[in-house]
Amino acid sequence: MGNLEVISINFWNIVISLCNLLLIFLIVKKFLYAPVHKMLAERKAKIDGDYTAAAKAKADAEAQEAAYRQKLDGAKEEADALIKAAVADADRRSDEILSEAKEKADGILRRAETEADLEMKKAEEGIKTEIVGVSAALAEKLLGREIHEADHRVLIDDFLSEVGNSDDQRK
Amino acid sequence: MSKRRSASFILVDVLLILMILLPLFCGMVIKILTTPPTDEISIAGAQIYFIVPMPLQDMPITESQVNSWLVILSLLGVCLYLTHGLSPTYETRRQHFAEMIVEATDNMVNSNMGAYFKAFSPFICAIMALSAFSSLLTLIGLYPPTSDLNVVGGWALLVFFLITYYKFKCGPIHYLKSFAEPPALTPLNVISEIATPISMAFRHYGNVLSGSVISVLLAAALGGLSVTLFGNLPGILGKLPQVFPILRVGIPAILSLYFDIFSGCLQAFIFAMLTMLYVAGAFPAEDYARKMEKIKNKNKKTN
Repeated sequence: MGNLEVISINFWNIVISLCNLLLIFLIVKKFLYAPVHKMLAERKAKIDGDYTAAAKAKADAEAQEAAYRQKLDGAKEEADALIKAAVADADRRSDEILSEAKEKADGILRRAETEADLEMKKAEEGIKTEIVGVSAALAEKLLGREIHEADHRVLIDDFLSEVGNSDDQRK
Repeated sequence: MSKRRSASFILVDVLLILMILLPLFCGMVIKILTTPPTDEISIAGAQIYFIVPMPLQDMPITESQVNSWLVILSLLGVCLYLTHGLSPTYETRRQHFAEMIVEATDNMVNSNMGAYFKAFSPFICAIMALSAFSSLLTLIGLYPPTSDLNVVGGWALLVFFLITYYKFKCGPIHYLKSFAEPPALTPLNVISEIATPISMAFRHYGNVLSGSVISVLLAAALGGLSVTLFGNLPGILGKLPQVFPILRVGIPAILSLYFDIFSGCLQAFIFAMLTMLYVAGAFPAEDYARKMEKIKNKNKKTN
């Protein structure tokens, strides 16, 4: 068929070439740019979604943390109050116990004292009567006569009180 | 990353790769079948396959048209292959490549033309791809459609239409006025307007054609040189260079590296760049903004 001239202008070939360029433009647009742009938009949407989800999760976590912290603070206060109450209670109880014990001990002491006093008095009485008896006997022996207890009561009491006094001084 | 692909996915992949390669193979077969064997060195245009009678001028269907269609078919396969299995999460190498192409051209268009021409990025990409791959057809021995003036002329004409369309954005009066910018230079302005597509077409066509011409001349020269250098060798060795010009091996490849690969890609880039600059420069952005504002204000008043 032969060849074209090196420089030849053909109207229809120019039109064909123009249409070819339009065709490849449409192909590139439809089959390369549209899918890639769609995919990029999808990716962007996905990343944006991820970011918002992450931000939401973070906000949630922070809110929860704040709530927990509040709760923790409340619990601390509660525990403090509890401990205080317990300490006060214990103090009160111990005071009570102590005072009770003191009272008891005082009672015991008092009783013991009175008992001791009583014993002492009893002993004193015993000693007195014994001394009286002994001195009466001694005097009887000495005087050779019976001493009338009733008669000499005053005398003996004087003596005894002297003895008692000397006892007291010794104490 | 190592997600198992289904058999149907791989099958589609194979079909798409065939869709990329088959047109090129077909082109080679057609070339071999239709090229008459000749020893002559000839610098001619595209080979005519058949002529369709048309009203204005007969329409010859030549190598450049057929090869253009083959390239388009192949590029359609490339587009489909790159976007096959796109997903926002599961990333493949081809997906990265597709994203890279799209984002690179988007950025280029954005920085050279502005955000208003956002929709131009597929067009720029198409120009670059068609031009570059058309020129690169020489690598597999096919006739590069870009060395046909009609092909590049068609592209330049389309760019000229685009330029005129954007110049008309502010109305025909504004368009006519733009030629009389300094009134004395009106004829020059008109000439430069017409010269724009012609210079674009001739620049691209001339570069690719000159590469082919130089390659042919060099091949012929090397053939002759190998005959003169080794033709006087005794016996069968002396006959060999006429059948098999030994110097043609390897040496033209170095020139081909420049004329076919570098020049082809560079011219594609230049053509796309000029398209962007001319179209963006043709658009009177400030006047257009003023006009839009006026219309807006009018609408407000009527409302």
